[in-house]
Amino acid sequence: MNFRCIPALVAVLALNASVLADALVIVVHPTNAIELTTDDVSRLYLGRARTFPNGESAVPINLAEGMPAREIFDQRALSRSSAQLKAYWSKLVFTGKGTPPQEADSHEEVLKLVATNPSIIGYVPASAADERVRVVLQLD
Amino acid sequence: MKKTLIATATGLLLMQPLAHANIDISGYASVIGGRVLSGSGVEGFDLPPTFLANYPLVGVYEKDWTFKPDTRFGLQFRANLMDGLSATAQVVARGADDFDARFEWAYLSYDLNENWTLQAGKKRLPLYYYSDFFDVGYAYLWIRPPADNYTWQIFNYTGINAQFNYFVGDWDISGNIYTGREDDQENKLLSQFFGSNPIREIWKDIIGGVINLNKDWLDIRLTYMTYINERYRTVGGVVERVTWGDSLTRRGKFAGISVNMDFGDWLLLSELNRLDLDGGKFDTYMVSAGYRINAFTPYLSYADFDSENEKHSTTSLGLRWDFHSNAAFKIQYDDVKDKGVPGWEVAGDSKSISFGVDLVF
Repeated sequence: MNFRCIPALVAVLALNASVLADALVIVVHPTNAIELTTDDVSRLYLGRARTFPNGESAVPINLAEGMPAREIFDQRALSRSSAQLKAYWSKLVFTGKGTPPQEADSHEEVLKLVATNPSIIGYVPASAADERVRVVLQLD
Repeated sequence: MKKTLIATATGLLLMQPLAHANIDISGYASVIGGRVLSGSGVEGFDLPPTFLANYPLVGVYEKDWTFKPDTRFGLQFRANLMDGLSATAQVVARGADDFDARFEWAYLSYDLNENWTLQAGKKRLPLYYYSDFFDVGYAYLWIRPPADNYTWQIFNYTGINAQFNYFVGDWDISGNIYTGREDDQENKLLSQFFGSNPIREIWKDIIGGVINLNKDWLDIRLTYMTYINERYRTVGGVVERVTWGDSLTRRGKFAGISVNMDFGDWLLLSELNRLDLDGGKFDTYMVSAGYRINAFTPYLSYADFDSENEKHSTTSLGLRWDFHSNAAFKIQYDDVKDKGVPGWEVAGDSKSISFGVDLVF
């Protein structure tokens, strides 16, 4: 047994735990003063609303499938499993009733997109959010 | 510095046409095999033990294993022309049609505003709850929506459709109104299963509407459609017009309600529909229940068709297993009871097994 590995192992475990236990934050452009409930967020990400509650156009950005924060978001904001969401979207996509949100491959990409456009809404782990974006809602 | 700016500007200019011609390709597939375990057939029609799993496409299982009746592949191309305009085409190849690929959907779509979208072209007729995504097995629970409900010979139309989406007092209200026609030069169900002469089936003056009400775990759908039916039969090379009594056409009126609940681990699905064809009543209903245990969803289903002469029902028991993030395995047992009056049976009693994989990409 190599004891020197233990701190590294502990660090890895702690990191995993922090990603899973970390709160997610819903982020928008700093100039966008909108207030949102979990329900509002859910309606935007399920394609049921195309605008923010104040009528301004809204473009949701998802994280790519398989990213830990995406799974947490699906559970906490949409209360559905990935399989349920895929079945939901396949019904809409193949009947011309909707298209799923665009996906970003990293937290940084979400932050960059949100920072450039007041219509864009995204989510990242709370620890990843910075001054380029405004946090509207925290999902614990 | 300036050089970089120019390069960036040129880059943007070059990028734009590409972005405008953005084409999404997506698709679905179902590979399903099955066979009849036992069945009565219909002696009067010289029909061996048969399970008619898909009426409009004449998807038929018999005593030998087959992968044809329910296997299908679909590819969708959607060109996003920006500013709310898009063009969509869907090509479907089905085992029941010997994998002869055809354009089943081809339409333009334009977002008028955040609530309304206008579409024109060829689409699926949205009669029953599952009619317009009947081919996308991944999107629903069973191997196929219950055959006893989905019996009508026409399933596409060409015309105009207006879709809407509103949020009123905690309810998401969506739906569509549509009008159009379908002229099927040689209808498969009428020409090959319910008869032996080529039948040209026309549904014209189609006007219909659908309203969906969604709130949390509750989903209610109301549907109505009316049309005029015209039919021609070719006998010995001669085309003759089919008449009903002394009438050259008949009017169909279809109405239905569907209530679905997705509550916790429970899934309860139901449909109740009536087609009135010049006074003749054709009633269909379906109830299904599923219970999710992680990736597994066992389910039970009962579907019924009732009219003056044609009467049949199917009890199904099955399992859906979401074994992959893009695919589900399903296995299903179907017990069909044909209680049609003599001469009006469809395919007799049968007990069948089918299994396979649905996927989306």
